[in-house]
Amino acid sequence: MKYFFRKLISMLLTLLAVSFIVFAAFAVIPGDAAVSRLGSNATEESVAALRAEMGLDRPFLERYLSWLGDCVKGDFGTSISYGMPVGQLILDKLPITLTMTVLSLILTVGLSVPIALLMCKYARSRFDRSMYGLNQFVMSIPAFFLGILLTWFFGMVLKWFRPGGYVSYKKDFGAFLGYLLLPAIAIAIPKCAMSVKLLRSAVLTEADKEYVRTAYSRGMSTMEVLYRHVLKNALIPLITFWGMTVADMIAGSIVVEQVFNIPGLGRILLTSISRRDYPVVEGIILLIAVVVLLVNFLVDILYRKVDPRLEDQG
Amino acid sequence: MKALKKLSRNPYLFVGLILTVFMCLVTLVGLVYTPYDTTAMDLSDKLAGPSLRHLMGCDNYGRDILSRVMEGMRNTFVIALLTVLIGTVFGVLVGALCGYFGGLLDDILMRINDVLFSFPSILLALVIISLLGTGSFNVVLALGIAFIPSFARIVRSEVKKQAALDYVQSARLMGAGHARTIFVHILPNIVPVLLSSVMIGFNNAVLAEAGLSYLGIGVQPPDASLGRMLSEAQSYLFTAPWYALFPGLTIVLTVLGFALLAEGMSEK
Repeated sequence: MKYFFRKLISMLLTLLAVSFIVFAAFAVIPGDAAVSRLGSNATEESVAALRAEMGLDRPFLERYLSWLGDCVKGDFGTSISYGMPVGQLILDKLPITLTMTVLSLILTVGLSVPIALLMCKYARSRFDRSMYGLNQFVMSIPAFFLGILLTWFFGMVLKWFRPGGYVSYKKDFGAFLGYLLLPAIAIAIPKCAMSVKLLRSAVLTEADKEYVRTAYSRGMSTMEVLYRHVLKNALIPLITFWGMTVADMIAGSIVVEQVFNIPGLGRILLTSISRRDYPVVEGIILLIAVVVLLVNFLVDILYRKVDPRLEDQG
Repeated sequence: MKALKKLSRNPYLFVGLILTVFMCLVTLVGLVYTPYDTTAMDLSDKLAGPSLRHLMGCDNYGRDILSRVMEGMRNTFVIALLTVLIGTVFGVLVGALCGYFGGLLDDILMRINDVLFSFPSILLALVIISLLGTGSFNVVLALGIAFIPSFARIVRSEVKKQAALDYVQSARLMGAGHARTIFVHILPNIVPVLLSSVMIGFNNAVLAEAGLSYLGIGVQPPDASLGRMLSEAQSYLFTAPWYALFPGLTIVLTVLGFALLAEGMSEK
């Protein structure tokens, strides 16, 4: 319990630091927000008036604290180009990105565990070796290129789905999930290959230990030993990897969204970057930071659940 | 002879070396010669398929795809190399200082480092580009900064390990200053570890650059870029799938070559 609170406090402190870095970074950018909003031929008086209205004439720390206070209350400011509250804008698109991330995580974990165990069962056989080579190849394919290949094959050759035919989750959740499946596969496959590689080496390291020999001597089959004994220990390093992967998957979804023409967080982020709509960019970055830190926190907690030995070390 | 024997016993190193050398050669040739002018348009060849005249076919303006792939490889290589250079130099500096001296500075810097590290580098680069604006130079800067944390982390833990060893103590006793101890005595010993992370970093930089260019905020037209070609090719996926296939395959093979090389080198 003590550990839990210590980690929680450390996470909140880190979040505070991140919020400061984000705010500071966007405060020192060249170009005044008021000038960019009014255009370069605005009069000095109107710029000064707008600066006062936007609160840009106040000292830096004061601006940060009031911004932070608003963020905590869920007010991330108003988007300049969309003309609506940033919080609402993001909340609308968040389910798309989260669904894609969760789907890819399920696929990655669900596929990599059986594949890695199968490779371990036939370790160093021709099957294992060719899978290992294939794995290396798959790891080198960028997710967005994989997405393009999947679009071409499933959308144009087989015509199983209509590229660009995204359905909103508000309209038809089933069709929404169906459309997100291919993007999720595109994100998951390279990550899956990496997990297979890590898991295979973790399992093979574990398989040399004595408790495995004991399990065999009790008459268990290879798959039984692998699933019931080895996997539990081999998964420990993988938990960290999958935790880090979630952050990568969110980033991946922002790129892959463009391949499948999905109007999610990625599109808003890119549009806001090109229009210099900073409140939106700040909001999205902060949100992703929260998700990343939350996942790290969960990984830390989960880690100790899986490996009770760590409990003693406080 | 001995090296050859070692190569034949290590298929990853062998294939990786061949792929990497081939890709580097094509890139080098691309510096002085491309089959066609990369910007020459010939509308009669619009979206022409692969043939002997155009090995990879032509794009929607009738430009030779092979020539543009070669130019794209050059841009990608330059950006990735500079990115890794920035990442390594600053990563080594930060990592060595933190690992060697430890203390409060180490705590603070590594805290920040951990946060940045857990943040995907392509997102970090996106943020930096949104601050600096688009363009090749800013991409290098953004990716370079985004890559510092991963190098700093590796260097720090290696330096920390080395600093505890006897030879460092001896060097200090012989009157070597801190700077000399770090740069002359410790750093040469972590080069092998650094080398493999440089190769992996190079791959990540290639992938990140391709991703950014695909999103339209990396290399700007008329300069060719593999990522950008992919995004342009997507509109012609039905009529000319090879337009997307060849630039994409080039990225895959480049990354694969370096990955196999790193894999083969770690296998002794």
